Amino acid sequence: MQTKSTEPIRMDAGFMKDVAERSGQMFNSCFHCRSCSGGCPMGEEMDYLPNDIIRMVQLGLKQEVLESASIWLCVGCLACVSECPNGIHIPDMMDTLRQIALEEKATIKEPEVVAFHQAFLDQVKRYGRLYELGFMTRYRMKSLPVLRDLPNYMKFFFSGRLNFLPEKIHKRVDMKRLNEVCNVER
Amino acid sequence: MSKGDRKLIPLGKRRICIYPGCSLTASSRDFADSLFQMARMAGMWVEELKDWNCCGASPAHSVNPEYATLLSGRNLILAQKQGIEDLYVVCPSCYIRLKESMHKLDKDAGLRDKLFEAYGTEYTGEVNVRFFLESLEPGDEEIFKGKMNQSLAGLNAVIYYGCLMSRPERVTGFELKVYESSIIKFVENTGAKVIDWGASSRCCGAHLAVSRPDLSDRLVDRILDYAKRAKANCIITFCPLCQVNLEMRGKAKDRLPVFFIPELAGFATGEVKALKWARRHLVNPLPLLRNHRIL
Ligand code: SF4
Ligand code: SF4
Repeated sequence: MQTKSTEPIRMDAGFMKDVAERSGQMFNSCFHCRSCSGGCPMGEEMDYLPNDIIRMVQLGLKQEVLESASIWLCVGCLACVSECPNGIHIPDMMDTLRQIALEEKATIKEPEVVAFHQAFLDQVKRYGRLYELGFMTRYRMKSLPVLRDLPNYMKFFFSGRLNFLPEKIHKRVDMKRLNEVCNVER
Repeated sequence: MSKGDRKLIPLGKRRICIYPGCSLTASSRDFADSLFQMARMAGMWVEELKDWNCCGASPAHSVNPEYATLLSGRNLILAQKQGIEDLYVVCPSCYIRLKESMHKLDKDAGLRDKLFEAYGTEYTGEVNVRFFLESLEPGDEEIFKGKMNQSLAGLNAVIYYGCLMSRPERVTGFELKVYESSIIKFVENTGAKVIDWGASSRCCGAHLAVSRPDLSDRLVDRILDYAKRAKANCIITFCPLCQVNLEMRGKAKDRLPVFFIPELAGFATGEVKALKWARRHLVNPLPLLRNHRIL
C-alpha cells in the first residue's frame, strides 16, 4: 500500500503482472493503437482513456490507476473488445482493477457508482433476485440529488411496473452458501 | 409452471426454456408479456427456468468477478438439473453474463470446484446459453405476417440494438447480422417504416443511468437527437435497460416513445393487452398511436 505523495512518481513493478494474472490479459501485446479508446462511449467522461489505463498498468502507476474515475465509468459495453486487434479484454481488466481498488481501500473517485453496485448486490445476496423497489429506495435514500426521478418511479409503481414485495428464489440457502464460498459478507 | 416436470406439451409445439431476468419480472414485465405472446404465436411452448436467480448484472462482476461467475453459474446448474439443453436469455445483458460464466466455468477447474462447493452439483457444461432471437430462424418473420390485421402505418421507427447485441459473434457468441434483415422485414410487415440511422449500436449509459444520471443524459440526448434528425417518431429496442434509459434519461423536451420489438407484434395483431402496455410507458405513446389509428 502506498502513502499519498505528489512526487516522486511511484511505480509498482509487480502491478502489471498481478493485474495480468488476475484478469487473464496480456498487456505486453498492446501497441497503443487506440482503437479501443476511439470507440469507447465513456471516453469523453473518463480521466484516462482505456488505452491510457493499460499504459499506466504497464508502467506500474498503481495508485493513479486505482484512484482513477475511468475504472468505475467503464460500463462493459464491449466496444473496445470488438475493436482491439490484439484481443485484449479491457472490461475484464477493469473488473480486476476495481476489485484491487476495493481490496486495497484506495481512494474511490466515483463513490456513487460503488454505492450503486453495493446496494444492488445487497438485494441479490438477500433474495437471489433484484428487488427493484427496495433497491431504489435504499440507494436513492443515500443519494438524494436525483429527486427529479421521483415522478418516474411513482409512475412505475402505480402502473404496476414495480413489485411491491420482493421476488425471491425458493432455495435461498444457495445464496448463503455462495457468500461463504466467495467470502463475501451479507 | 412448477408442478409436473415433464408434462406433456401440446402437439406441434416446441418447448423453449427461458431465463427471463429480474427486469422482466418487474419494470419490463410488459416486454415479457408481449414476447411470450409472440413466441406462442410462433408455435412455441414457453417455460421459465425454475427458481432462476439474478445474473448479477454489472454490479457483481464490477466488484467481484468470481462471485459473478458463480452467481450466474447457479442458473446453469439449475438448467442442467432440469434437463435443459438450450437456455434462451431475453435480456442482452443477462445473456452476456450467463455466457461469460459458462466460458469461465468451461475453462477453469478451480471455479468448477467452487461451484460444486456452493451448490453441491457437478457442472457438466451440457447447457448452452443462447440469445432469445436464436429460437427463431431468419425467415421466420413470415410466420407473424398472416396474423397481422392492424396496420402500423404512420410509425416511422429507428431500430436501436444497443451496445451488447450488435457486437461481433467472436465477442458475444451471437451474430446480429444473421438476423438483421429479418428484424427489419418483421417491422416492415407491420406496416411501420424502418429508417436507417447512425446510432443503432450506441451506448445508453447502462447502469450509470442510475448512479451517474448526468453522464447518461448526455448519451441519451445524443441518441434521441440522431433519431429526430432521421425523422423518426418512435424507437424500437430489444433491451429492458435501454428502453427505460431512453425514456427516462436525457434532457430533451420532445420525447420519443420507445417500444420493445414484440410490442409491435401485439399492436399489429390487435392484442387486447396492447393498450395496457402502451399506458405503462414513461413517454406516453398514445397520442402517436391514436393519431395513426393504431390503438
Ligand atoms: S485496441 Fe488493443 S492494442 Fe490498441 S490500444 Fe487498445 S488495447 Fe491496445
Ligand atoms: S467496455 Fe468499457 S472501456 Fe471498453 S469501450 Fe466499453 S466503456 Fe469503454
